[in-house]
Amino acid sequence: MNLKIIFRIIGFLLMLTGFFMMLGIPFSIYYNSDDISALLQSGIFTSAVGLIIWFFTRDPQNKELGKREGYLIVTLGWVFMALFGSIPFMLYGAIPGFTDAFFETMSGFTTTGATILTDIEAVPAGLLFWRSLTQWLGGMGIIVLSLAILPILGIGGMQLFTAEVPGITKDKLHPRVRETAKRLWGIYVIFTFTEIILLLIGGMNLFDAINHSFTTMATGGFSTKNASTAYFTSPFIQYVFIFFMLFAGMNFTIHYLAFHGKFEFTKINTEFRFYIFFIASTTVIITLVHLPHVDFHLSESIRQSLFHVTSLVTTTGYVSSDYESWAPFSRMFFFVLLFIGGCAGSTGGGIKFARHFLLMKNSSLELRRLLHPRAIIPVRFNGKAVSMEIISNVQAFFIFYIGIVVLGSIILSLFGLDFITAAGAVATCLGNVGPGIGAVGPVNNFAELPDMVKWILSFFMLLGRLELFTVLLIFTPAFWKS
Amino acid sequence: MRIIIAGMGDVGYHLAKELSIESHDIIAIDKNQQRLARIDSMADILTISGSATSLEILKKAKTSEAELFVAVTSSENTNIASAILAKKMGAKKTIARIANAEYLSNDVGVNFKELGIDFMLYPEELAAQETVNLIKRTAATDLLEFEGGKVTVMGLKLDKNTPIINKTLTEVTHQHPNVDFRIVAIYRNFRTIIPSGKDRFIANDQVFVITKPEGIELILKLAGKENIKFDNIMILGGSKIGRRVSELLQKNMTIKLIESNEDKSFSLADDLPGTLVIQGDGRDIDLLAQEGIIDVDAFVAVTDDAETNIITCLMAKHLGVKKAIALVDKADYIPLTQTIGLDSLINKKLIAATSILQFVRRGEIISQTTLEGIDAQLFEFVVQPNSPITKKPVKDIGFPKDAIIGGIIRGEKSFIVVGDSQIQANDKIVIFSLPSGVKKIEKLLT
Repeated sequence: MNLKIIFRIIGFLLMLTGFFMMLGIPFSIYYNSDDISALLQSGIFTSAVGLIIWFFTRDPQNKELGKREGYLIVTLGWVFMALFGSIPFMLYGAIPGFTDAFFETMSGFTTTGATILTDIEAVPAGLLFWRSLTQWLGGMGIIVLSLAILPILGIGGMQLFTAEVPGITKDKLHPRVRETAKRLWGIYVIFTFTEIILLLIGGMNLFDAINHSFTTMATGGFSTKNASTAYFTSPFIQYVFIFFMLFAGMNFTIHYLAFHGKFEFTKINTEFRFYIFFIASTTVIITLVHLPHVDFHLSESIRQSLFHVTSLVTTTGYVSSDYESWAPFSRMFFFVLLFIGGCAGSTGGGIKFARHFLLMKNSSLELRRLLHPRAIIPVRFNGKAVSMEIISNVQAFFIFYIGIVVLGSIILSLFGLDFITAAGAVATCLGNVGPGIGAVGPVNNFAELPDMVKWILSFFMLLGRLELFTVLLIFTPAFWKS
Repeated sequence: MRIIIAGMGDVGYHLAKELSIESHDIIAIDKNQQRLARIDSMADILTISGSATSLEILKKAKTSEAELFVAVTSSENTNIASAILAKKMGAKKTIARIANAEYLSNDVGVNFKELGIDFMLYPEELAAQETVNLIKRTAATDLLEFEGGKVTVMGLKLDKNTPIINKTLTEVTHQHPNVDFRIVAIYRNFRTIIPSGKDRFIANDQVFVITKPEGIELILKLAGKENIKFDNIMILGGSKIGRRVSELLQKNMTIKLIESNEDKSFSLADDLPGTLVIQGDGRDIDLLAQEGIIDVDAFVAVTDDAETNIITCLMAKHLGVKKAIALVDKADYIPLTQTIGLDSLINKKLIAATSILQFVRRGEIISQTTLEGIDAQLFEFVVQPNSPITKKPVKDIGFPKDAIIGGIIRGEKSFIVVGDSQIQANDKIVIFSLPSGVKKIEKLLT
C-alpha cells in the first residue's frame, strides 16, 4: 500500500474543501449574517491541514496508483471531507454536536439530503450555501472534479474514477480520463446554470435559486426552507424541479450525446427507455390511487404524483407535500421507490435502473434456460448481450444491498426504532434519497434519532454513494494482503 | 483475353479450367508448386511460382497487359494488396476475394474502386443467399430465379413412386397442356443430358425444369413433391455462413444455431437476438435430440469441416428431417452427395468461381450460374437487335445440341420456349448449356 501518495491526494482534497467552504462568504456579506468568521476560520484551517499533509508527503518515490490505493483514497477522502466539512456548522453553533454535524455533512456530500436541522431558516446564508455546495460537489464527485481541474492525478486517474463512479459499465466520453471528467463536469455546470436561470424566471430569489439548483442537479434534496420545496407553490417552479431531477437522474453520457445532436439513444438505450416508462407509469398509478383521497385538482394531483415519484426515484428527496398522509397504498409504494435509484452514470444513488433491468431480465430468461440447458441466452442491454460476469456482479450488488437493508433495519430496531422507521431510515440513507417513512418521513427529520443510529446511518450513506463495493472491499482481509 | 489468376486453390483451379476451355490466355500464380502442377496437367495455361504481392512476379506475369486480374488466394490481405498493385501496374480490371462483409458496405466511405479493386467477391454471402433460397423452396434441390422470379429453374429429384416415372417427356407434356414448363436437363449416372422428347424419366433422375411462377405448384405435384413451408430450422456451425443464414431467416422462422466454441457462441447470441444459440458439439446426437432435431423442418450443416457436415446431414435425414443442406467445399465429394441421399449441397468455391465467370462474360450476359454437382451452366442473355436468332422460330435457328433455350422474358411477360417460339430484339433469354456449348452460344449470339 502506497500510503504516501494516498495521503498526498487526501491533503489535496482537503485544500479543495477548505477553498470551497469560503465560497459562501459573499452571501454572508450580502445578507449581513454573522457566520463569516466561522466559514473563514474553518476554511483556512482545513486548507492549512491539507497543505501540511501535502507538504509532508511531497516527492513520493513511487507515484503509481493501484486499484487498492484508488479504493482507499476515495473512501478515506470522503470520510475526511465529511469530518472537516462539519467544522463550520460546529464552529458557528448552528449544529453544536459533532455527531449531528458529521451526519449533516455526510448527508450533504453523499447527496442523501437527510437532515437533523429542525429550523433550517434560522441557519445563516453562508452556512446554508456551504450545506448546498456539499451536495453539488458530492453529486458529480469531488474526485472526478479533481481529475478534471488538476493534472497532478495523471497516473492512476482511472482507478480513482472507477472507485468514485462505480456504475456497471464504463462509458468513457473520451479516451483520457481527465477529458472525460472535464466533460462530465461541464455538462453538470451547464445544467446547473440553466436551472438557476429558469428558477429566477419563476420568481425565486438568486440565493434560493442557486441553492436549489445545486441540490436538484446533485439529486441531493437539501432545501433552504423548513417546508422544503413545498414552500414554492408555483407550478412553474415545481415543473422546473421535476424536469431537472429527471435530467440529473439520467446517464450523463446521454446528455453528452444529446448536446452533440445524437438522439439515437431514445431508441436503443434500454435503461433510458425503462427509466422514462417507469416514471410515467408509476405516476399514473399513484395519481389514480390517491385521487379519490385528496381534494386536489387533477392537474395538481398529477403534478404532485410526478413530483414525488421523480424525487424518490432519482433519489433527490425533495418533498412538496406530506405523502405520509396519502392512501396506505401510496405510502407502501413510496417505500418501494426508495429502492429504485437513478440511471447508471447519473448523479442519483440507489440500486439504479440498469441493475434492476438486468436482474429482472436475467431472472425471467432463467426460465427459458431451464428448457434449453445448453443454449446461450444472454441478457440484452442497449442492444448488446451482457456478459455473465456483469450479471453476476449485479446480482452480488443486489444481495449485498438487500442484506444491508435487512441487517441495518434489525440493528436500528435494537436502538428502539419502530419497524417502519427503521426500514425507512436505512433504505433512504443507503439509497441516498433523504426522507424516509414513519418517524423519518417527509415532514419529520432525523434529529430525534439516537447518536449511535446517526453514525450507522452516516456509514450507510457513504456505502450507498460509493455503490457498496468501494467501501466494502476495504473491510475484506484480502484487501490488506499484498 | 489475358487473365491472371493469383491463387490456385479450389476457386482458382475451377476458374482456370473453365476459362482455358473458352480459349482465354490464363496465367496462374501460386506459391505452391504442387498446386501449379495440378492445374498445369489439367488445362492449357502458363504457371508462375511465387507470391502474388511480389512486384517481380507480377511483372513476370505481364500484369500491365492483363485485361483481368483475379486474386483468389486464401489470404484476404494478399488478395486486396495484389489487386491494388495489379491495377496500378496496368491491369484493366481487378477482382479480389474477401473474407468479411464489412468491405461490401459503403458506409464508412472507403471506395475500393478508387483504390483499384473493381469487384469484391465474398463467397460466404453468396453461399448464405443460396442456402436461404433452398430453404424457402423446400422441394427443390436447386432453385434459380430470373428477373425477380418471372422465370424459375428448379432442380427436382425423382423418387421411385413419382407419377411421371417411365413416361417420355412428350407424354408428360401432352398430359398437361395447360402447364408452361420445359425440361432443360436431366442429371443421370453422373452425366448431364439435354433431353429430347423421346427420353424417359427414370427413378433417381435429377430433373431441371424451367417454368413460370404459376407452374411451380403443379410441377412439384408432378414430381411427387409438396412445397411445405418451413419454419423450424436447425443450423450447425456458427461460421460466417451459419451466422448470415440465421440473420436472414430469424425474422420469420424459429432458428436454432449450434456452435461448439464458447466465445463464438456468445458473440453469435449477441448479434442474433432472434436466434437460439446452443453451445455444444453438433456430432453429439443426444444434444441434437434434446434440442428437438426430430421436429425441425430443415437441417443446415455449415461447419468448416465437410465430413462433419455430410455425416450430420445424413443423421438428420435418418431421423426424418425433411431437408438437409450441407456445405461441402471439397469438390471431390460433390458427385457423391446426391447418391448417398443428401438433398442439397452448397459449395462456396464453386459459387465464387461462378460469380467471377459471370464477371468475365459480362456484356450481353446478365447473369450466369453454375449448377452444383452437375456440369452445366445457366445464362441469361439480352438479345441484340438484328441478331440472327430473331429472324426465325427457335426450332430453325440452329441452336447447338448441347444447349437449350428455356425461357423468354419480354418486358413484364415471360414465356416458356417451344419449337415455334419467336425471339425478338431486347428479349432476355435463359439458356441452359453444357460446357461444350458455351463457346458456340457466344458465337451465335454476338
